[in-house]
Amino acid sequence: MTATSHLTWRRRSSRTLCVLAVAALGLAAVACGDDDDDSAEPGATGEAPSGDGGAITVAIVGNPQMEDISALTPDLFTAETGIEVNYSVLEEGTLREVVTRDIGGGGEQFDVVMIGNYEAPQFGANGWLVDLTPYAEEDDSYQLDDLIPTVREALTVEDQLYASPFYAESSFLMYRTDVLEAAGLTMPENPTWDEVAEIARAVDSDEMAGICLRGKPGWGDLGASFTTVLNTFGGTWWSANDDGTVAEAQVDQPEFKEALQFYVDLIHDAGEDDAANASYNECLAQYRDGQVAMWYDATVAAGTLEADDSPVQGMNGYVTAPVKETEASGWLWTWALAIPQNSPDPDTAWEYVSWASGPDYIAAAGEQVPGGWAAIPPGTRASTYEIPEYQEAAGAFADVTLESMEAAPIDNPGTTPRPGVPGVQFVGIPEFQDVGTRCTEQFSSVISGSVDIDAALSACHDIASEVGG
Amino acid sequence: MRQEPGAALGTAARHDELRRPWRRRLPLLPALVFTVLLTQIPFLMNIWYSLTDWTIVPPSSRRYIGLDNYGDLPSDQFFRDAAWVTVVMTVSAVLASLVFGTLLAVLLDRKFLARGIARTLLITPFLIMPVVAGLIWRNQMFSGLYGVVNWVTARVGMDSIEFVSRYPLGSIVVVLVWQWTPFMMLIMLAGLQSQPAEVLEAAKVDGASPFGTFRQLTLPHLRPYMELGTLLGTIYLIQVFDHVAVMTGGGPDSTNIPYFVYRRSIGGGWDFGKASAFSIVVVVASIVVATVALRVLSRLLRGEEIA
Repeated sequence: MTATSHLTWRRRSSRTLCVLAVAALGLAAVACGDDDDDSAEPGATGEAPSGDGGAITVAIVGNPQMEDISALTPDLFTAETGIEVNYSVLEEGTLREVVTRDIGGGGEQFDVVMIGNYEAPQFGANGWLVDLTPYAEEDDSYQLDDLIPTVREALTVEDQLYASPFYAESSFLMYRTDVLEAAGLTMPENPTWDEVAEIARAVDSDEMAGICLRGKPGWGDLGASFTTVLNTFGGTWWSANDDGTVAEAQVDQPEFKEALQFYVDLIHDAGEDDAANASYNECLAQYRDGQVAMWYDATVAAGTLEADDSPVQGMNGYVTAPVKETEASGWLWTWALAIPQNSPDPDTAWEYVSWASGPDYIAAAGEQVPGGWAAIPPGTRASTYEIPEYQEAAGAFADVTLESMEAAPIDNPGTTPRPGVPGVQFVGIPEFQDVGTRCTEQFSSVISGSVDIDAALSACHDIASEVGG
Repeated sequence: MRQEPGAALGTAARHDELRRPWRRRLPLLPALVFTVLLTQIPFLMNIWYSLTDWTIVPPSSRRYIGLDNYGDLPSDQFFRDAAWVTVVMTVSAVLASLVFGTLLAVLLDRKFLARGIARTLLITPFLIMPVVAGLIWRNQMFSGLYGVVNWVTARVGMDSIEFVSRYPLGSIVVVLVWQWTPFMMLIMLAGLQSQPAEVLEAAKVDGASPFGTFRQLTLPHLRPYMELGTLLGTIYLIQVFDHVAVMTGGGPDSTNIPYFVYRRSIGGGWDFGKASAFSIVVVVASIVVATVALRVLSRLLRGEEIA
């Protein structure tokens, strides 16, 4: 009898343990089941509106220049106009997702959104954005003609400006003058990729890689760097019909393979460690630490390299993006402010846009932002490069940045016509975001060595072929 | 001995319960309606979406296209790749964590000093959030520059390897096994502790070796527990998302079906029609696995012994 009851107890306790395990599992599932919504919610939106000048909600990306402006807004803007500005500071991917969903789906969450020159012309063409041209032409303080032409063009469809540039960048090559000097090499002023590859392989050593190139999957990561190389190698993602639509995928063409092979070989021979995970931030860290001798990336990096706290300050040279078949290959990217079509009060929204992306803010910001003149939003206006304080702070790279910006081959980045709206490091069609990301996943795997280059190209060709046709 | 007196009573009670009028179950209704509203209506909408051609980027109006989305499925090599990754990921992670879980359970079933502390520590990985586990392993364990694993292999003279980018699937499976071994261990421990002491004693008296006892008595006894662990583990591991998202962010050899569906919909593809069709297929597959699993589970909870 005792034996039986003991047995039953043992069995019951074992069942309890089992149920406990299952319950723990359920809790874990609940705990991880609800984590995907938080990121989509906009961040802190500040205090309740004061009411005098109205209030607007602005979605911005969490980069240093945007954080500066959100800190300066109460003093410089709200104090003047009485308009309360509530910022939603979002990470780039989240911003893109939230904004696409909000304005594409007809929501009214934001009065002003920050978008890139990939989205602006497409959203504009979809009828999702307010045409800013009439506002800009009437507003004297805005100085429409001061905008750098390539940037303005990148945000314009059929003479309608759909977003006002807040910040813009191109790409160029940064290198350590001391390292090249020690190796007895000189960098040409407008180098070709072959020359750069030769120098990279020559200076590559165990302690210091020759060059840092992006290898992280993503259409804006590896996709951006690689597409500029692809363009200048004479390749392209798609051929275009006469009306600008997609004709056929061109990933199976020899130029595409040549460009990818060049890119991958260069990384394997003389590239940084862990290249398949490296993008802007990783390369920045390695370059600052003296682990790479050259770096091909966004012009905005120069501001960080020449900052007072940088260990490589004053040791760098800057030249335009390397080329092969074309004259210029640097990319063009801008973060710009746009007003959604369903914004309840576009006039108030424009007042903000005009202030935030106008020349007066740049002049005021130089005196007030913590990083000083070198940290102001660059690349949008010719007048920025005429400010004496900025020239002094950014002397090492200001001229070559402006040259890169103006030369960015926005209309015809390669040797063949492109489909869609203008773009250098991307193809201006909505599907590129998806195709670029999926293909760069393949290419990144080639860089890491887990996928063969022909298999990756064939998979990518299939992905690209899903578009158009 | 085996037929407990309560069993007959239980059957009678169950009959009685079935005859009870609806109003006695009325208090359950709000919860039931709530569940239906929150799960079944979205599911029906999902079925409807899967029969349409609907993309937001580029914007297009939703259009009924019948079963075309499903027709495209078998020829989609990326869906097939994702399905294969899901199978490999689930099967290898479940089996490996089952083996390690059983080994640890056998060790924990013995009495030793600080057994409670050891058990708590062993359970810990299961209590860590999947995202955190993925990040810790990617950055602190697997990193080629400062990862612990590469530090150890460097001591024995091996070159540093970027595990996550070089072996994406393997790396994710390692983390899954690390997280799920404690779960299997708990279930196996429950099985071990339910083993009748007198049977083991009798085996000892008959002169059976410890290994013989384990192989001939304990293992057969553990079988239903292993089935339970395998099936529950499968149900949960088939939907791994967090580890993929934070460790590799997709890519060949690491995109499984849940991540693939995410990517085709709000994760950049914006193709809701196709993504819905993919997810419906996954739901059907999961229901098949879950049905089998629940059958075994209910058998176990009824207290039937196979051994």
